[in-house]
Amino acid sequence: MTELLIKNGFVFDPLNKVNGEKMDIAVKNGKIVEKVNEHKAKIIDAAGLTVMPGGVDIHTHIAGGEVNTGRMVRPEDHVKDAVRKTALTRSGTGYSIPSTFVTGYRYSQMGYTTVMNPSMAPLEAKHTHEELNDIPLLDKATYPLIGDWWFVLEYLRKGDLEECARHVAWMLQTTKGYAIKIVNPGGLESWGFGRNVHSIDDQVPNFCITPREIMVGLAKVNKMLNLPHTIHLHTNNLGLPGNYTTTLDTMKALESVPSDGKPNMHITHLQFSSFGGDGWGNMRSAAEEISKYINTHSHVTADMGQVIFTDTTTMTADGPFEYTLYQLSGHKWVNSDVETETSGGIIPFHYKKNNAVNATQWSIALELALLIEDPWKIYMTTDHPNGGPFFAYPKIIAWLTSRKARMATLKKCHKKAQKKSLLPSIKRELSLYELAIVTRAGQAKALGLTNKGHLGVGADADIAIYDVNPETTDIARKYKAVRKAFGNAAYTIKDGRVVVKDGEVVQNVDGRTIWLDVQTAEPCRIDEQMKNKFREYWSVDYANYPVYDHYVKVKDPITIQASV
Amino acid sequence: MSIVQSVTCPICGCLCDDIELTIENNEVVKVKNGCAICEAKFLGYRGHHRIKTPLIRKDGKLVPVSMDEAVHAAAEVLANANYPILYGWSSTSSEAQRIGVELTEEVGGVMDNTAVVCHGPSILGVQEVGIPTCTLGQIRHRADLIIYWGCDPWSAHPRHLERYTSFAEGRFEKSEWKAYMQKLKAQAGKKKVQSATRSGLIKTQPPRASSCTLPGAPPSALSKRGRKLIVIDVRKSMSAEMADFFIQVEPNKDYELMQAIRVLIKDGELDVDKVAGVPVEYLKEVADALVNCEFGVIFFGMGLTQTAGKFRNIEVAISLVRDLNMRTKFLIMPMRGHFNVTGANVVSAWQSGYPYGVDFSLGYPRYNPGETTCMDVLIKDEHDATLVIAADPGANFPKKAVQNMVKHPLIVIDPHMNATAMLGDIVFPAAFVGIEVEGTAYRMDHVPLPLKKVVEPPEGIYSDEEILRRILEEVRIIKKQKAQQKVEAT
Amino acid sequence: MIVLTPLKTFKFPVTAECINPDVFQGKTVAEIAALPVFEGNRQKTLGELFKIEQAEGDNPSITINGDASEVRRIGYGMKTGEIVVNGNAGMHLGEKMAGGRIVVNGNAGQWTGSSMKKGLIEIHGNASDYLASPYRGSTDGMKGGKIVVDGDVGADSGCYLSGGLIKIKGSNTGQFLGYHMSDGTIHVEKNAASRLGANMTGGKIVVSGTVEEMMPTFTIDSVKPKVKIDEAETATGPFYVFLGDLAENGTGKIFASKPNNPNLKAYEKYL
Ligand code: SF4
Ligand SMILES: [Zn+2]
Repeated sequence: MTELLIKNGFVFDPLNKVNGEKMDIAVKNGKIVEKVNEHKAKIIDAAGLTVMPGGVDIHTHIAGGEVNTGRMVRPEDHVKDAVRKTALTRSGTGYSIPSTFVTGYRYSQMGYTTVMNPSMAPLEAKHTHEELNDIPLLDKATYPLIGDWWFVLEYLRKGDLEECARHVAWMLQTTKGYAIKIVNPGGLESWGFGRNVHSIDDQVPNFCITPREIMVGLAKVNKMLNLPHTIHLHTNNLGLPGNYTTTLDTMKALESVPSDGKPNMHITHLQFSSFGGDGWGNMRSAAEEISKYINTHSHVTADMGQVIFTDTTTMTADGPFEYTLYQLSGHKWVNSDVETETSGGIIPFHYKKNNAVNATQWSIALELALLIEDPWKIYMTTDHPNGGPFFAYPKIIAWLTSRKARMATLKKCHKKAQKKSLLPSIKRELSLYELAIVTRAGQAKALGLTNKGHLGVGADADIAIYDVNPETTDIARKYKAVRKAFGNAAYTIKDGRVVVKDGEVVQNVDGRTIWLDVQTAEPCRIDEQMKNKFREYWSVDYANYPVYDHYVKVKDPITIQASV
Repeated sequence: MSIVQSVTCPICGCLCDDIELTIENNEVVKVKNGCAICEAKFLGYRGHHRIKTPLIRKDGKLVPVSMDEAVHAAAEVLANANYPILYGWSSTSSEAQRIGVELTEEVGGVMDNTAVVCHGPSILGVQEVGIPTCTLGQIRHRADLIIYWGCDPWSAHPRHLERYTSFAEGRFEKSEWKAYMQKLKAQAGKKKVQSATRSGLIKTQPPRASSCTLPGAPPSALSKRGRKLIVIDVRKSMSAEMADFFIQVEPNKDYELMQAIRVLIKDGELDVDKVAGVPVEYLKEVADALVNCEFGVIFFGMGLTQTAGKFRNIEVAISLVRDLNMRTKFLIMPMRGHFNVTGANVVSAWQSGYPYGVDFSLGYPRYNPGETTCMDVLIKDEHDATLVIAADPGANFPKKAVQNMVKHPLIVIDPHMNATAMLGDIVFPAAFVGIEVEGTAYRMDHVPLPLKKVVEPPEGIYSDEEILRRILEEVRIIKKQKAQQKVEAT
Repeated sequence: MIVLTPLKTFKFPVTAECINPDVFQGKTVAEIAALPVFEGNRQKTLGELFKIEQAEGDNPSITINGDASEVRRIGYGMKTGEIVVNGNAGMHLGEKMAGGRIVVNGNAGQWTGSSMKKGLIEIHGNASDYLASPYRGSTDGMKGGKIVVDGDVGADSGCYLSGGLIKIKGSNTGQFLGYHMSDGTIHVEKNAASRLGANMTGGKIVVSGTVEEMMPTFTIDSVKPKVKIDEAETATGPFYVFLGDLAENGTGKIFASKPNNPNLKAYEKYL
């Protein structure tokens, strides 16, 4: 494999505390190395350019049953964004739910190299993996939805954490998953009969357990299994006015799980969980209350769930929430409940500046990202495509790094939202160093992906180079140039190969699929038990449930030794 | 002799995955758990009409040729075509479907699957209003009201009732099998019941039971306890015989019927006494039953998708279910026919963004049924070549479409010498997916299931996937050569 | 003015959204001839498929002489000028049109005037299905402008209409005329097929001839002697006025000629 030497770039590598120093990065066999033979290596002249680790996205819905149903129901969304075949790349469609190939290309064009698909019904895991195989240029992983899995509910109710942990390990292995995903815990099982839970202490019908018990239980299980990421949580009451109190209750509940100063929970798309007010009429931002809590506690990380003003598609396992959106909008509505496991829903949604609620949502996400002081605690996402399509990231980068940029947008928003927005009072503008944290280093750290998100020796040679000269460009003022640069990477390097140059795909390579191979002390008993339970619980046979190895094109399992 | 368990049945959209096969000398000799259709297929698939070698039509007759010759000939046709159709895909694996999309894109053609003649309208309906649905196990566990509308599961999806609905045992709802047998006993006498039990329910026709009420007595059956089964159809099908309540709808009037029920469940009034031949007073009782259930579901079939109104019928059925969710939990699902027609839609959607009728002629995917399905193209004779795989349009397309299809080169990939293959110009024998080759298929509720290889295919017979891959490679070679010649010429 | 004459009968679909006065404006014949089009899966130039001539006058107008039934997207999104097709026109004629005028001296294909906003389309023959109706999955119907069809129209026409006027003079329409319309007017001078106005929530459909069948989800409201079609025209009845579609809690109005629909007399008992 070719050697590569990236010379004289301004390097931002927060995990190694490199802050814009001019230095060379050497690459060999797909890894970052100390040095290479300068005469043999391919040289990339990065003088005057910004060099960062490849982007990492901790939460983006790009593959699987729900995403694909979204594609199927929205031809009117695709028709406006057709992508031509080239000699190198496949054709497809874009906009809010891009086809698989286009997803890979567009992420790569922004300098991203690793993305996490956060929502997978275990029963449909094969589908997710088949699609991940068709997403080029990126390393990927996926989180199975297990917060409402009957086994989890039953074992946690019995208080049998060890047994629960073994089942969760089995599930991660069986579905080739990466983290424990919990969505509206208890609410999804309730939704099976059209009901929901409304606080973390509501009883789940038929199961005598509360959301609190599910979240705390699974956080403990997460620890017992030594998983690299924390529980990945979509809170109860998401998307409803006044839900910030539920979010505070949730974070407080997790204080009870010992974490030695480290995070033990990740709240995803925090914006949707930070609504104040008690109805849509007086819905307001609760970013202040939420960020205050997070600033004074060490057990929480989060991602933004930024809203983009565009026509997009909401999709989540939170079936009851999507039903609420359906009632509000009357739009086409998909519901997709999955036996013994989870639910799901889809609603097309157009976020508009002149809608007070939408504009407030837009403001909340930015307020959170700016009021939470430690960038290692909050990461940039849109919860693609829920808040907006991922290729709007350059816009968010501009809003985060430039007060001027966000005030320009705020000025066009609904008057009521403007008046209530905290943004005018916030002076903070992220530096490129901080930007590198919220778009890659922080996400990789939260995920426990030790080879990602940095440029130290031994890291994967996933590198993004942007046409921004930090010495000559004031990014807070030249936000349009920043937006352009981060939308069209000068170079994207995946595993040591240049895959994008000047925003165009120049080489097509497959990414890897990462999953956890969790080793517990006694896995076999689970197997027998599961076999017996299968006929009772699911409508498929035990032997046909697992994602067998041949379902993954490029395999990258990480072996974990559990403490059970 | 060996026994293979948990085999997925590659026939209908139920995709039962609990089939147990006994294999002897590379042949299936015994089938356990399957329905009659399943048994017949596994035991009889190698029978008559199997194509044994690639064939090319020369002087009007199909003659055996080598695989290479057939691949090259097919690739030539596709590479040179100005507007080719690549049709079928429903009875093959998702792995083959993936390559199908790539091949269609490469040759700038129209990729279409058999949804165009069955549940295409369902997809169009879903694109208008969405679809509240679920996986089949969810229905087994929870549904207390099951409606089959314009479909006859007993004949077309024989194990649907047993595995997923009325006669399946769930966590919160119990099987109605015993109650049904009791009813039969009361109605049909002991003898028939014994014979039904002896020979196994699934493989026999159920004894005729007059369980239904229309026209005649009021629908008291709707107030019974436990799971209720309603069948709505234009004729009293076998499934209707088993139902607690049967509504006979005038042909092509389903749309009006559903629209009327939508008004009634909102406690609205109608200015008419009868809708689609059904008295409004009965409809009111039906509306009550719909609203008062805990968890209801509508399954619908071609009786809705292929009758007057087509996709509007599906749209209104879904709208009815949407409305019902204001009052209770209600879901809906199409009864997909071929075992992997769902997969054809799924794969096409993730690669192109669109589920069927995808036109790549402009270099990017376009979708507009009415314009871009193979039926639209065939009827207007706009195409100049066709590839048919894992389907038999020669037997079930309208005459005009078939006539236009055979006007131009026709490539066929199929295990059998079916009607289409007999009309073909280049014919590839294929191995049976789910018997001789493995792969993946998507059940009617989008649950993916693995298909097994249980016996070896005959000597020299390749999988769909392999045949398509070779044609694709050859097309690329031909295109490269042509581009080179062009460069040299200028 | 530019005159286009097809050089052959097209077998393959021809995709030619460049046939648009806004695009031709300011271009020489040679430049117009070089505009890209697709014939089947081959990219061609307009000049390879049409004879292109400059005719009298420099008004922004285009005339097509000959059969263009396989030519799609003529006048796509046009804002000004005029297109005259002396022959049949293919699908998506005047789709997303925002101004100007299109005249077809022949029949028009599906999705003619789809989602149009402004302008005038006159079809002197028949119009096929989905006249003025939006693309699959979209609820963006015709918002304004006027379409006049001398002949019949196909099924699912005027779906999601939210403004403007469609006039149909032929003796038949397809099913589901005015489906889910919310505003605007459809005037059927002769007869309308069943499922008329299904799911409509607003606007009005006036049928001066017979209504094949009234949806059961419409309720009779009144009898009116006449109804206004637009500024220039009033249709004389008397008309039965129906409200619906109740299934969508709609308040759309269907005016059905009283003398031509004796079968609707049964509704009079509710008045
Ligand atoms: S019901 Fe369908 S899938 Fe199940 S065994 Fe019968 S034919 Fe096969
Ligand atoms: Zn999400």
